[in-house]
Order: sequence, then C-alpha cells, then structure tokens
Amino acid sequence: MQGIVIPITMVPGNSTIHRMNPLPKLLWTLGILALSFSTRNIAVLGVACLIGLLLVFYSGITKAYVRVAMILFPISLTLITLQSIAPAFPRPWTAIVGFGPFTIYQEGIYSGISLLLRIMAMTTWAMVTIMTSHPSDIFTSLKKIGMPYVLNFIFVMTLQLIPILQSEFGIVLNAQKSRAMKGSGFGAILPSMVPVFVGAIERVQQLSISLESRAFGSSGKKTSFRQVRMAFSDYVALFLGFLVPGAATYWVIVDKSLDWSHSMVFSPAFSITLVLGATIGFLVFVFFAIRAALSA
Amino acid sequence: MSDKKPIIEFRGVTFWYGGANDKPAIKNINLKIHEGEYVALLGLNGAGKTTLQLCINGVIPNSIMGEFEGEVIVYGNDTYDTPVREMAKFVGMVFDNPEFQLSQMSVAEEIALGMESLGFSYDEMTKTITEVLEIVGLRGLEDRSPFGLSGGQQQRLSIASALAMRPKILVMDEPTSNVDPIGKEEIFAVAEQLNREKNMTVIMAEHEVEVMAAYADIVVVMHEGEILLNGTPEEVFSNVDLIHKLGLRMPQVTEYAHRLNQLNLASIEKPYPVTLDSAVERFKDIL
Repeated sequence: MQGIVIPITMVPGNSTIHRMNPLPKLLWTLGILALSFSTRNIAVLGVACLIGLLLVFYSGITKAYVRVAMILFPISLTLITLQSIAPAFPRPWTAIVGFGPFTIYQEGIYSGISLLLRIMAMTTWAMVTIMTSHPSDIFTSLKKIGMPYVLNFIFVMTLQLIPILQSEFGIVLNAQKSRAMKGSGFGAILPSMVPVFVGAIERVQQLSISLESRAFGSSGKKTSFRQVRMAFSDYVALFLGFLVPGAATYWVIVDKSLDWSHSMVFSPAFSITLVLGATIGFLVFVFFAIRAALSA
Repeated sequence: MSDKKPIIEFRGVTFWYGGANDKPAIKNINLKIHEGEYVALLGLNGAGKTTLQLCINGVIPNSIMGEFEGEVIVYGNDTYDTPVREMAKFVGMVFDNPEFQLSQMSVAEEIALGMESLGFSYDEMTKTITEVLEIVGLRGLEDRSPFGLSGGQQQRLSIASALAMRPKILVMDEPTSNVDPIGKEEIFAVAEQLNREKNMTVIMAEHEVEVMAAYADIVVVMHEGEILLNGTPEEVFSNVDLIHKLGLRMPQVTEYAHRLNQLNLASIEKPYPVTLDSAVERFKDIL
C-alpha cells in the first residue's frame, strides 16, 4: 500500500501526558474550548495558547505539532486580514488607517488577534490530547462513559478509511497516467473521484456484511478488549479539568472589565504591519499549496 | 455420504436479489452438509456460490434485501427466524477480499471485535486471541495494523477473527482470490488443519480445483444458480463432459486419465483419480 499518512495521530512517547488516561485530557480540551468561546480577551486566550504550547514541548510532540500548525496557522491568518477591515463587532468602529476603499479598524485588529488566538488555543490543546493518546484508548474511554458503541466504531472506521482512500486515489491516478490521461493537477483529480468513491461504497457494503457476520450490532452485554484504567492522578486531573477551566470560564463571563476591545489602542504602523504580514503569510501559503497540488 | 443428521440443510431454497420477476441468483437448492465435512463449491463467477454461502449464516435473507423461498436449517436453527448475530456463534464467514473485512487499529482489536459484541470477558478474549493467532500462524503481530499486513496475512487474520467466535462451521468465499501464491498455500493449510484437527466443517468456494480435489470430502458444482453435481471429488470429476461444457477446469491427472481413455491408450474405469497420489496408484499397473 502506498500513501498511508495520518497527519494528526498519536505520536508515541512516554511523557506524563502520554501516560494519562484520555478522559481528563478530553475534559481539559473541552474546558479550554468552552473558555475560548466565552472570551475575546487576548491575554486570557494568549495564556491558554501558551500553556498549550508548553504541553506540546513537554510531551515531545513538537515536530508533529509544527507540521500541522504550518497548515493551520497561515489559513487562520486570514482572520486578521478580514477582521481588520470588517470587524465582527457592533458599530461604531474606530478607524486607524485607510488605504483605497479599505479602512483598518481598532476593533478589527483586536477581533482578528483574539480569533486567531482562540483557534490556536483550541487546536493546540486538542492536538496535545490527540497526539498523546492512542485512538483506541480515546474511543474505549468514551465508550465507558456512555458513548454509543456504533458511534465509536464510526470514528475508528473513519480514521482507517482516510489513508485507505488516499492510497486508492494514488492507484487510480497511476492507472490514469498509464492510459496517457492527465495524471496530475486538478484536471486529473475529478475523473479519479468516481472510481475511488464507487470503490469506497463497495468496500463499505462488504465490510457491513463482514461485521454483521461477526455479530456486530448485536443486542445484549458488550465488553471491551482495550483496557483503559484511571489512576489516582487521573482522577485529580479530571477534577482539576472541571474546576480550572470551569472557574476561568465563569470569571471571563462575569468580569466585564475583561472586554478590552475598545480600550486597547493599536498604532497605525503596528496595524499595517500586522495586516500586511498576515496577508503575505497567507498568500505565500496558498502559492506553495497550489504548486504542491500541481506537481503531485 | 453419511447417514448422520446433517448440520446444514437447504430445502428448496431460491433467492432473487431483485424482485421475483428477475432471474434468481440461486434456484431450488437442496443440499445437506454433515459435521466435519470439507465441502468445495465450484462454479464460474455468477454461478450462485456466494449467494448460497450467505444463506448459511442468514445474511440472506435477514440483511440482504430480496425475495427468499425455502428453508435453511443450521444446527436446528431456521436462518430465516434466527438473527445473524445468533448464527455467528455457529458460522464463521471469510470473504474474498481480506482488506474489505478489516476495520480495527490493531490485529488483536480486529480479532476481539466479534467477541466484544458477544460479551466475552477480557481474560477470555486475550486467551482466544493467542489461540487463534497460533492457529493461523500470526503470533507476534498482535499490535500491528491490519492494513499493514500482506494479503495472505490479512486473509489469515480474517480467518482468525471468524474463529475467535468459536464457530462450528467455517464458510470461505474464494478466500485466496486476492492473495499471492504463498498466501494461498497458507490459507489452504489453515483450512485443512481446522477441518482435520478440529473437525470443523469447512465450506469453501474456490477456483483451485487441484487443491479442492485433494482436500474436499464433497464437491458441489453450481451453474446459473443451480446445483448440477454433488458428490465426492472422484464422482464429480468423472463427469468430464459436463464439467468441460460448464467451462470449469478439471484436476490435471483426471484430465490425463480421460484423454488416455479417449485416445484408446488405456482403459481407465470411472471414477477417475483426482489427486497425484491416487493417479500414481491407479496408473502403476497400466503404464
């Protein structure tokens, strides 16, 4: 088989975070998710992001994280460009500087930075959880707390299907090339879709018969082969996972003084540099992405 | 054939994938299979072998839509009324494309999947996984991804997954069609071992007539949904003209015996030999 690449998957390791039960990790991630959506305060989001990054370094997944961030971060940079000229804030907006038909607003810069930090905080924490936990352990833990068996299977199967479909896509492209059809670029991708998806449907039909023949979906008591245990430290982490993000979320909701969207002032030079930097960063990414797609 | 009570009995089974106006996939099938028999199903693609096999664990008619007539009784259970998950305790299924049967992240988890559904304890599961991996010769690969195995290994894993549920019958649908020659030998060896040593009933659809002639107790020849021949390999392969007419291959030694007769070079009585050993035994006096 060729092309088996799961970009976001477990990075083997033996750090404390690797050894933790996935449930507290998932709870912390959900807590940070709730906190991130509850505030626009860039200091709070920045700290959440920073702690996430420290956990990335600590658990030894920096390389894998950077690979994913290299894709995610440039795309997220568009938020700064778009928000700076059209802030997701109620008017009135305070203009900083204008060029042509566009005006950069104070609230826009603030909103762009806070949205970027929000995405980075959430994805960094999620990445720590995913890259330090075996997928089967995550699903087993979820099963233990009542996640339906079938739903778990769908997650596992999806993880398996992605690399398989990638591989089949490569085979179809090679077959096209061998018949003197276009073998690269966007023009080659469309005709490949039909055989890949027809193949996927056939695969799923065969799999469903095979699963049925193995009593999958039967009623009655089910057991789990994968054993995921909760240590005392996991219970402590779970408790803190409720307490810390919960308290922080409560604090950012009730403390109105944390709304810095109007009080923070950005200089015209800083604003222009930030917007231009973000735009250039995104365009460079798009340029390389298109070049990679065309040469694939 | 044995006088014992059959463990699988097809009574006038007809199945249409579409409506009853279409051509049936299998037509008026009457077949009895006894415990411990190794049954080879032969026939061209579209002969109805897969459909017949899917009736044994009740996937037809319970999961695959269509029109069903007749009865299939397996260990006293009418498959029409018995859920497939119940039938899974008697019947293990292995299909032609090994990769399409796999779904889990490790070999051990793949084998455990069926046992989890039936509520086996953790200790039972670990013990069974070790046992079935030993049988199929995959010990030591417990933590490997099923998708990283070779075709032959994947098919042996499918067999292990079926065996883990401790079935009495192993149904295999062209299990070697997607594997290399070494993988084929491995799979045939496992099936033979299970049949001879564990007295497991094996029902295998295959195109490898030489192997089937050597291993099978009973050969069933199907054509356009009907059973045309049913008997021991010697009885079945002695119907040379019919087998040729159906477009099927014969074991080479059987073909040889038939040609010798046709060319009046020898007078070999039917039933013809079907394996090399039996041919040597028969020919040593006349050549």
